[in-house]
Amino acid sequence: MSRFAEPMVRLIDELKKLPGIGGKTAQRLAFHILRTNDDDAEALAAAVRDVKANLRLCSICNNITDIDPCVYCISATRNQRLVCVVEEPTNIAAIEKTQHFNGVYHVLHGSISPLHGIGPEQLRISNLLRRVDDGQVDEVILATNPTVEGEATATYLSGQLRRAGLRVTRIAMGIPVGSDIEYADEITMLKSIEGRREL
Amino acid sequence: MVLKESEAIVLRTYPLREADLLVTLFTRAEGKVDGVARSAKKSRRRFGGALEPLTYVRAHYEDRERRELARLDSCEVLESPLASEVTYARAVALAHVAELLDELLPDREPNDAVFRLALAVLSGLRGPDLWLPITYLELWMTRLMGYLPELSECMTCGRTLNGSRAFYHALADGLVCIDDKRLASSEISAESRVLAARMLRAPLESFAGAPWPEAQAADLRKFLIQTLQRHIEKKLVTAGMLEKGGF
Repeated sequence: MSRFAEPMVRLIDELKKLPGIGGKTAQRLAFHILRTNDDDAEALAAAVRDVKANLRLCSICNNITDIDPCVYCISATRNQRLVCVVEEPTNIAAIEKTQHFNGVYHVLHGSISPLHGIGPEQLRISNLLRRVDDGQVDEVILATNPTVEGEATATYLSGQLRRAGLRVTRIAMGIPVGSDIEYADEITMLKSIEGRREL
Repeated sequence: MVLKESEAIVLRTYPLREADLLVTLFTRAEGKVDGVARSAKKSRRRFGGALEPLTYVRAHYEDRERRELARLDSCEVLESPLASEVTYARAVALAHVAELLDELLPDREPNDAVFRLALAVLSGLRGPDLWLPITYLELWMTRLMGYLPELSECMTCGRTLNGSRAFYHALADGLVCIDDKRLASSEISAESRVLAARMLRAPLESFAGAPWPEAQAADLRKFLIQTLQRHIEKKLVTAGMLEKGGF
């Protein structure tokens, strides 16, 4: 016999499916939801329903959005000819935080990962190539992660994007701001020397 | 608990909890070791790029009482795959090395011959040619794991295959002559068998320099992969990607 009533067991089981949530945390969250007032519990349920019902991918850049095209792709103040390619929609927030990038995005929804059987054909590349072929783009910035998989993706894309008049750039790699050169590992140091710029 | 030190090759990492990474290392001293790198996902300070797959590192780790997983303390990069350009083809080849080592090696059993082989292959993969190091790795891994059959005689009748046609079947061990071949067998050329015999006698570096197109020894690679897959009883994901090509 279960220690809890059946609806509670069901809620705990559902919460346990979330990443980073184990049995104990799921139990704590479930009891918190039980103790919270009806409006808050209903708002949580509605938010979950809303996310599933109303969010989709932007038909231009593959970002997750509730309107299609997304806010970046229809913005009149953004430079639509400068496209930053990222692996995941969450990467956009990191770039937006800088408040220095005024272009638009393209989300691949992953990177080349041979160990997981993910090749270029599993990534969302075709609409990026279409944007470039339609002459809508002057520069593509490849902002994939500085990992083996991210590098392989960037190298593959740079080959696919080779067009006359199109500039393809890669984000810089190197020493994090505020850190100490003494503690930098060899490969980070190598990349920062390779990517040095003239002052 | 004693802090251990060993040269190692990072095979795979998996996210663990909020900020940790579960790391599979192929250490020279103890063979394949699984360990936890605390906060490696959140902070790159301690490990930097050292936990990228196929990075050759000097690892410091400690075993904890009654725990299967070691605690990874630090890793010093000795050689990184990110030091040279990572093309799609090279990424697939590197992943193939990682998958073969991870799937074929038992836990906590040192194997210096395989370690030296892996280092030679990683060094070979820094060049433009990927099919030579991949063929060499597959052949030697099949041999070192004890799965490589005699390539010069028929498994069924014992007749010598030198200079004559040889066949293999996905569901059977070894090579057979034309008289003993089963339905749906594939042929392995005499040139590929001669090449395999040469590769088993000479180091990888001695083959460098000569061009090695994808078609060269493709039948040997197919035979070796089928042999390995039959023994581990699972498909190798990266073997499929290599076969598909498109590089």
